[in-house]
Amino acid sequence: MTTLTTPHRPSPDSPDRAGSPAPRRRRSARVREAAQLSATLPALIWFLVFTVGPLVSLFYFSTVNWRGLIAPRTPAGLGNFERLFTDPVVGLGAWNTLLQLVVSLPIVVLGAFMLAYYLSLKPRGHRIMRALMFTPVLLSASALAMVFVGVFAPKGMINGLLDAVGLDELARPWLADGTSALWAIIIVTIWCSLSVSAIMLAARLNSVDESIFEAAEIDGAGHWRRMWQIAWPICREFIGVVTMLQFLWTLFASAAVVLLLTRGGPGNATVTLSFLVYDFAFNQSKVGYSQAVAVVLFVVGVAGILLIRRAFRQKY
Amino acid sequence: MTTTVAPEARPAERRTAPAAPTAVRRRRRRRGDALGRTGPMKYLAHAGVWLYVLLLAAPLYYLVISAFKRNTDIFNQPFSPFTPLTFDNFGLAFSQASLGTAMLNSVYVTLGAELVTLLLAIPASYALARSKGAVGRMVERVFALGFLIPGFAALVPTVLLSISLGLFHTREFLILFLPASALPLTVILLTQAMRAVPAELEESALLDGAGPLRVLWSVYVPLSVPTLTVVAILNFLSFWNEYFFSLVIIGPDAALRTAQVALPTLSIANAAQYGVLAAGIIITLVPAYLVYAVFADKMESAVLAGALKG
Repeated sequence: MTTLTTPHRPSPDSPDRAGSPAPRRRRSARVREAAQLSATLPALIWFLVFTVGPLVSLFYFSTVNWRGLIAPRTPAGLGNFERLFTDPVVGLGAWNTLLQLVVSLPIVVLGAFMLAYYLSLKPRGHRIMRALMFTPVLLSASALAMVFVGVFAPKGMINGLLDAVGLDELARPWLADGTSALWAIIIVTIWCSLSVSAIMLAARLNSVDESIFEAAEIDGAGHWRRMWQIAWPICREFIGVVTMLQFLWTLFASAAVVLLLTRGGPGNATVTLSFLVYDFAFNQSKVGYSQAVAVVLFVVGVAGILLIRRAFRQKY
Repeated sequence: MTTTVAPEARPAERRTAPAAPTAVRRRRRRRGDALGRTGPMKYLAHAGVWLYVLLLAAPLYYLVISAFKRNTDIFNQPFSPFTPLTFDNFGLAFSQASLGTAMLNSVYVTLGAELVTLLLAIPASYALARSKGAVGRMVERVFALGFLIPGFAALVPTVLLSISLGLFHTREFLILFLPASALPLTVILLTQAMRAVPAELEESALLDGAGPLRVLWSVYVPLSVPTLTVVAILNFLSFWNEYFFSLVIIGPDAALRTAQVALPTLSIANAAQYGVLAAGIIITLVPAYLVYAVFADKMESAVLAGALKG
């Protein structure tokens, strides 16, 4: 193609010098824009087929009776959702998910922020810390779970440690015990995401103009006040983003940790809502029902995102 | 009293000095005095942080030393690094879980998906960066909304899609599917980078008779290499580490499954032998660590870019 006529892109809003050729030129600009944007079509189609499509059909599948991926489907109306509210396993899953969120979110967000502030002061050893804190970023969900298989195993790290300090009566099979198994899962999520969030927040704090902190220091503000009254408000919006990521990660990605560490057991002690989506569909042949759980999870996810975004809106 | 003014400028400072000389010098204090004015609280802060670092390091330390130990030594001296060194665990990990094949499958899926992502995202970002109209803004907003979609919710419908495309239990479906989840962030970041390309460069290329494709390839792509690298690292990590979709779509077939799916089978095969599992974890971590080692300086911006989701 050789277009030597107009090397610069005419913007459609620009006022035309002469009055008469305006409409035609505007139309040609629009045509040109459309031609240009056709390059986005493959990406858009991909996005529609692989992301939007499955998501929309999720809502349809949640209203059918469906016993297996290749079994026939029969309409069930809202029956799946009615069953949800009386199903004790789903109730337990909802409770565990809530517990996981309520315990881990504050610890991770506040802890990561304090760690990030500490790192931003570049104290002795901060390089080693950074390198170490990067490792969980590189771990996949399955590698993360496998690391902790060794930690919580009956003859694993924790029991070995208890044995070494003479507290071996406290030793137990951590993942096979109803109460400790759920806490083990929560600890794994905190262990991983605390450092991931701290790395992100440290990067954000690095970009803050340091003269702000100096001014506060000259005014006599200690680190505690500088951390909460200056650094926090400045990073407020970004902290919201980190909270959102953490929220979504806990809500959805923890399914892999549960699947690989406890398979929801012992009994149903460690089921979470996202684990149930998988378990109902692939192990219990309740595909339609599992999709009702997925719809609930999706709605909770979107509502949570909106809520967090609202709570962390920049205030100045 | 604390020393707020460091008298000598270290080399690191000198590099950044021209921008804001006073500000930089003021802030960098003597090493180890970073929490200067806080009084006794500072010991609490140091202690708390180092306790966390210890808790973070302990499982990793245990992982690494266990990988090089015999099973009896793991039980008898779990924390000692001085037990006889053995590499048997690595061989066993490779043979028991066919990790070699699995790693190759992961490489195939990761590189394939990376290629598809870039092939889709580069033209799209190019068009979005050049467009100034309302349609372009709308398309950009569609991609921005994509951040809000948690892919895991659509696990079952995605499996169904793979069945209807005749690609269930194939690696190729993942190569097609994974880019879709990476596209929103990739397109947004690349569009921002390409917007920063000076219009004069494009104009002179056009005057020299270059077509749009040529302009993209010789002007826009070379100038967006830094962002391309960040995006590629980010996608590499998320594709390499992908677990759930690989598990349900590719399935457990040892010839096709990815490394992340093969790894947990070691824990079932070796109920009481952490050594083999630990070796397996380390093997699957190697590619991610290599990327980290090579692009260490880019990693932080990659993680930060990942946080822009939302």
